[in-house]
Amino acid sequence: MPPCSTKCGKNAILKRPKTGDVLCKECFFEAFENEIHFTITRAKLFKPNSKVAIAASGGKDSTVLAYVLKLLNQKYDYKLDLTLLSIDEGITGYRDDSLETVKQNRDDYEMPLKIMSYKDLYGWTMDEIVAEIGRKNNCTFCGVFRRQALDRGAVLLKVDYLATGHNADDIAETVLMNILRGDLARLSRCSAIITDSGDGIPRVKPLKYTYEKEIVMYAYFRKLVYFSTECVFAPNAYRGHARVLLKDLEKIDPSVIMNIIQSGESLKINESANMPTLRKCNRCGFEQRIAQARDWQVK
Amino acid sequence: MCNVGDDNFDDLENSKYMPAKEKISPFSKCNKCREATPIVVLRSKDKYCKECFLSGTVHKFKALLGKHKLIRPNDRVLVVHRCGHAGTALLHFIRTGLDLGTHKKLRFEPVVLFVEDHSHLSLKERQELLKRVEHEINYFKFTMHLTSLSHLIRKGVNSEVLKNCAEILDLDDDSKSIIDNFVTKQTNTTNKTDFLNIARHKFMVDIAKELNCKFIFTPEISSDVASQLLTDVSLGRGSHIALNTGFCDFRDDTVKILRPLRLFDMKELGFYNHLNSLNPVTYRIVIDNPYKSIQHLMRKFVNDLQVNYPATVTTILKTGDKLALGSNKIRTCDLCNAPFEEESADLNSAESTQFSHWVSTQAHNSSLTSQERYIQTIEAFNNLTCDTYCFRCRQLMK
Repeated sequence: MPPCSTKCGKNAILKRPKTGDVLCKECFFEAFENEIHFTITRAKLFKPNSKVAIAASGGKDSTVLAYVLKLLNQKYDYKLDLTLLSIDEGITGYRDDSLETVKQNRDDYEMPLKIMSYKDLYGWTMDEIVAEIGRKNNCTFCGVFRRQALDRGAVLLKVDYLATGHNADDIAETVLMNILRGDLARLSRCSAIITDSGDGIPRVKPLKYTYEKEIVMYAYFRKLVYFSTECVFAPNAYRGHARVLLKDLEKIDPSVIMNIIQSGESLKINESANMPTLRKCNRCGFEQRIAQARDWQVK
Repeated sequence: MCNVGDDNFDDLENSKYMPAKEKISPFSKCNKCREATPIVVLRSKDKYCKECFLSGTVHKFKALLGKHKLIRPNDRVLVVHRCGHAGTALLHFIRTGLDLGTHKKLRFEPVVLFVEDHSHLSLKERQELLKRVEHEINYFKFTMHLTSLSHLIRKGVNSEVLKNCAEILDLDDDSKSIIDNFVTKQTNTTNKTDFLNIARHKFMVDIAKELNCKFIFTPEISSDVASQLLTDVSLGRGSHIALNTGFCDFRDDTVKILRPLRLFDMKELGFYNHLNSLNPVTYRIVIDNPYKSIQHLMRKFVNDLQVNYPATVTTILKTGDKLALGSNKIRTCDLCNAPFEEESADLNSAESTQFSHWVSTQAHNSSLTSQERYIQTIEAFNNLTCDTYCFRCRQLMK
């Protein structure tokens, strides 16, 4: 391997997809962590002395997010009160196993963990829903329920922020998908680093500019424990075209991911275009996307 | 973490997938006149007879030009001709429009330009091709100017490089190496193609100025525009989408580039030519590996998706139409001449990438603690000066 780009004297062990630079293990750890610190401070993601819930699935992104946030919180004294928030969808063979990983994280990183289950919130597990409706649109139901479950969990824990593990690949994929679907409303907000879910608890994405590949390498070199099985109901679920396209683009030139995010951030919607607005539900008064979950429950 | 934004739940069944193709009954009547037997099916569902199809296609061409009300009578328009159905149909649209006796007659003054750009062919094949193109333009009785890309690169734009007949255009034997040399600094095919496209664009605008034309017509069709849009997004030119894919590219103060065929698809124009007994000039093409560059891949992606989901191209186009120029006109990029993105105090992808490169290349001072190193890095980073190129062109001019 060539020598590390920082001229520290060691040999590099990886080539960064984001910049093409080659780094040794120690310099990679420092660069990776410093970049997330830079993102957090430069984009003013957290106010000091606030309480942050980390949406933890046990997967690579949320595991690395929890690890790095704890590390940076101590190193740069953010004064944050960190807690893990997990959602138990009730999917046998997937979530039950991944929750064990989250519990491991809770013990390793010494953070409290709150688990919200679909069964308690809605009276149904995903297994039961799938038994009822069959194997179609499962992710759509599950996604809506999970987003509301995260919102409710955040309210229950009285946190100021909800941090999610969305990485650069996820954002780029969403930008492409929203163009292919012609979904302007989502296109204009999907690349924001802070989004407001309507109940006043902002959602933040500290890994927005971090490549999925680097997250995997970081977890690997740090020997972090994470769960890497796909959901049993959705192997290669929807988003198909956009995901395949992005993976192909990345093979040609990995800097495409940052380029797409840059495009997403600089897109401006024409003032004359008709944009859908979130309307209040006339049954419960919640904004539409919350009311949808409620509507399904009633049915 | 694979589910940002796919929370689509309105009208579950329909919105999740694009509608697939319908089957057409052989006994149906023309959609328009409801009498004649249809001969063309468009968008995999709309059936037209010959008369209705031809009048509808001509109307579509004129309607788009008329809607924008940009061209005044006697304005000179540089019509860029390319080999293929789109180029030939464009010439035919204009010729029949000019020859009309009614008030719907087109009133501008066209000048046709053909830039020879086929360096993969042998010199003999290229000379042959040029003669056939000349013949085609003559058939429509237009004033023409012929030149070649390698001449433009070598000599720049002036009255010398523009010839009005094929015989006196002396093609370069080594066009391929001239073009390769021109893009030699670009590291991969994506960047080479992007850089060359910017150059082609500039040559076109300069030729229009040389010939006193206020407008340029280019023959891009809907799938070209859709793949251009996705390419722009993937290259980081998101704020230039309105210029690169809209009806009018107004980045130059005096010459506007118009795309009058941007709502047509290849099938429409192919049938239009066929029913008008027009045979476009064809030539040997090289089938490229689609993974060679981002431009190639996007073209393949759009065309493949379009086969099964006929709404793909129109959806992308409509999305593009609702995007505005995300930038101000005060400062423009030195290379592509597009306006800079609006400056914002927020962190963006460009700054994050710059920072990543910065921290990956700073000399590692092990006598400092990692916190001190960070402070040192960030102070030096904040003093970096910005340059005169837009986000994407900066990558080309590195």
